[in-house]
Amino acid sequence: MPVNSGLADVSNGLLLSTVVIYALAMLAYACDLAFGRGAVAATAPARVPELVGAVSGAPASGGDTIVGTGAGAGDTVPATPGRSAAGRWMRTAFALTCVGLATHVTGILTRGLSEHRVPWGNMYEFIMAISCMAVIVLVAVAVRYQAYYVGLFVMVPVVFALGLAVTVVYTPAGALVPALQSYWIAIHVTAMIVASGLYIVGAVVTVMYLAVDRYQRRTAAGQPSRIGGIIQHLPEALVLDRLSYRAILFAFPVWTFGIMAGAIWADQAWGRYWGWDPKETWSFITWVVYAGFLHARATAGWRGRRAAYIQLVGFGCLLFNLVGVNIWITGLHSYAGLS
Amino acid sequence: MADESQVIDSPEAKKIIAPGYTFGTVTDQIASVVLTKKTPYVVMGTFAVAMGLLLLFLLAVASVPGSVLPQEGIDPAAVTQYYAAHPALAPILAKFSLFSVFAAPWFAAIYLLLFASLAGCVLPRTFRLVGSARQLPPRAPRNLARLPLSASYRTDLAPGAALESAGQLLAGKRFRLRTGDGWVAAEKGYLREVGNLIFHIALLALLGAVGVGGLFGYKANRLLVVGDSFANTVTALDQYRPGRLVSPADLQPFSVTLNNFTASYITSGGQRGQPSSFNAAVSYTAGPGEPVRHDSLRVNHPLDVDGVRLFIIGHGYAPVFRVTDGTGHVVFNDSVPFIPVEQNGLTSDGVIKVPDASPTQLGFAGVFLPTMVDVGGRLQSAFPAALNPRVSLLAYAGNLGMNSGQPQSVYQLVTGGLHRLPIAPDPLAVGQSMKLPGRAGTLTFTGYRQWISLAITYDPGQLPALIAGIAALAGLLLSFLVRRRRVFVRAYAGEDGATVVDLGGLARSDAAGGFESEFAGLAAEFSGAQDGRRFVQVARPEDSGSPDPSIRGASNGDPALRDPARREVSLRDPALRDEEGE
Repeated sequence: MPVNSGLADVSNGLLLSTVVIYALAMLAYACDLAFGRGAVAATAPARVPELVGAVSGAPASGGDTIVGTGAGAGDTVPATPGRSAAGRWMRTAFALTCVGLATHVTGILTRGLSEHRVPWGNMYEFIMAISCMAVIVLVAVAVRYQAYYVGLFVMVPVVFALGLAVTVVYTPAGALVPALQSYWIAIHVTAMIVASGLYIVGAVVTVMYLAVDRYQRRTAAGQPSRIGGIIQHLPEALVLDRLSYRAILFAFPVWTFGIMAGAIWADQAWGRYWGWDPKETWSFITWVVYAGFLHARATAGWRGRRAAYIQLVGFGCLLFNLVGVNIWITGLHSYAGLS
Repeated sequence: MADESQVIDSPEAKKIIAPGYTFGTVTDQIASVVLTKKTPYVVMGTFAVAMGLLLLFLLAVASVPGSVLPQEGIDPAAVTQYYAAHPALAPILAKFSLFSVFAAPWFAAIYLLLFASLAGCVLPRTFRLVGSARQLPPRAPRNLARLPLSASYRTDLAPGAALESAGQLLAGKRFRLRTGDGWVAAEKGYLREVGNLIFHIALLALLGAVGVGGLFGYKANRLLVVGDSFANTVTALDQYRPGRLVSPADLQPFSVTLNNFTASYITSGGQRGQPSSFNAAVSYTAGPGEPVRHDSLRVNHPLDVDGVRLFIIGHGYAPVFRVTDGTGHVVFNDSVPFIPVEQNGLTSDGVIKVPDASPTQLGFAGVFLPTMVDVGGRLQSAFPAALNPRVSLLAYAGNLGMNSGQPQSVYQLVTGGLHRLPIAPDPLAVGQSMKLPGRAGTLTFTGYRQWISLAITYDPGQLPALIAGIAALAGLLLSFLVRRRRVFVRAYAGEDGATVVDLGGLARSDAAGGFESEFAGLAAEFSGAQDGRRFVQVARPEDSGSPDPSIRGASNGDPALRDPARREVSLRDPALRDEEGE
């Protein structure tokens, strides 16, 4: 079936405007950091009413509730629990993020409709989808854990990646090569995209964790730190660590599933479920390093910063698999459309 | 020995460091602790995990050269190219098996060690799990407020009745219960450890399945021209790589005929020339005397005969030639597979050997251009479909060298005993001939057929591998989603005569979270069911967000509890100790 070029143009327009909207959102997040109030410090007292509310869920609690610090960091990763009182900049930024996400998703959908297939057949489409997933995760953690503070730090790589996608690796809408014509593309590649989006947010939050942790240690030791202004807006290291861990806890099984689905597909397409193709090898390496991260985190003496570094190594492997393997190494997965 | 006694007798050892203690007695005391105390599981577990971690990273690092350097098992041609490009470096790399990393002994050593440490980790844990599954939860600690989660309320029920109602509620939620004098202890979430073990055991099973496939499976290649057939025997296969325990008699006795092959290409736009679909119509029998069946083979749609699967991995053209020799006999009339040298136009190279020609043997080497175009005097193929097929051949006469005893490739002409005939390699269209000078004969390009290259694979470890993979994923999800948690209830008469009920909760901190809300829900449910008054919830000890430091202090007598990292090692209460290792 021929490509519907009208729809393809619509998609291009939508994705281009997505980049602009995200860039604006990024600016607004940055303004929030610069001009907004220190989130954690300013909102700590806001905790109390919220928690009393939680506790009074008990029917007969009556008037003499004594009280509570409540649900605690472990459960809701509240970080900035009072963020409902988010500043104007933050609200603007988040609204822009949501609008951008809407055009992003529509852009990807129209691209798929124009091509009559799942729109992840080449590098351009893949970057579009992964960054979309990263923004979805951003919105999810913002809503679920009030972790609006990750906005800027997720938006920076997303805008960068999308900017590259629309300029350098842009590939016009087209058909799939026969090797990709299988329903497994919807299963395998989707799983990889979802996991990658989660890994991105996990890595971003881990970098934030390392920065805050360093700041906390320096200030505890009485040393000055130049990034104190930004740190003021971030929750404490423990909260970031947990948030990042949670993202990886989600991503890892999805990644495992993606590798397995890929193996089943490879078995049908090439006659073997595992053949150490470069892409396969690097997805394996990524899996191994993240498995190492999960084990390290459960091992005394490795949790904390060391585990965080392992996670970043894993993310490096993921990036190399996405970018390096597509560009420098030829293999059976050479579908990037970059030549 | 002499050194040792010297040390012990030295004045240092006799120096009194505190009343009743010398260095000697202190050393003895330390030694007695170290030497008599059994190494706790936690320490051994941590060591095993650290070992496993190291091996995991080693495995990751070891895989890298396999993706960067060409591999013998994946692309032998690329290895040959690498040898040509780096003549000095390549033999050194080969010495370290860097062109077959994944079959290298050192690679095998790493993953076998890893799996050995995994087995060493998993087996004792399985026994411990079976043991703990039969055990009741530990007794409730005396002071429930010291637990990471705790709550307290008052009720008009008698302590016994309050405990009973709490116990019933917990039992209804499938907690395992243990009751004692004035307390109830409950535990849930054994499936977490079960899932964790399933995951690790499934990985071992996966390795086993891969091994089975490697020993009992085989891989082969076969090029098949439209109209031809082949039987699955070692001699009929172009390339045959059996597993260690496969003998030629084990090959499934099927035979396959290629009836037709069509390839479609995109005809316009930026992707012009890219293939859009392949379809090979085949008929096959599972064995001699079996009925003939028909199927169509496509990419992503292999043919399955008796568990053996056939895949299209390549395709090309086989022009058909008729050669009449100098004596007027037709000495050759067959299709000759030409091998594509590029994909955009499917320009293909090939040779024709005519050993039966007389007076001299004849040989031809040339190219097949599916869609010939003339670009400034250079001939090339503009499209992979055969829209304007031409062959252009160089002709040779002499000795083909086929009887010299040296094996020859059918795709190469050994020109040592040949001389080139003085005739221009003008492109021939279908039906055209080239008349060889010196009455050596005539070659006619009579038409072309297509061929496909089939990969034939048999892997009995495939289904076990799939099952192991699914089990691993299920185990992983189970261990991530379920958390093991304990709830303790104590009820006693308070000062004012009303019953005080204390609740305590404990979960493995690294689990997916959510225990706090479950605990709060439980507490609410208890107090609701028992018409409890004055509901008090106390914070997790490490929660530093409390606006009122006195509450935090009250909830927590042990400063070590505030630091979650230290909490696990500092707790000596059996109810708090987390015996779970990874």
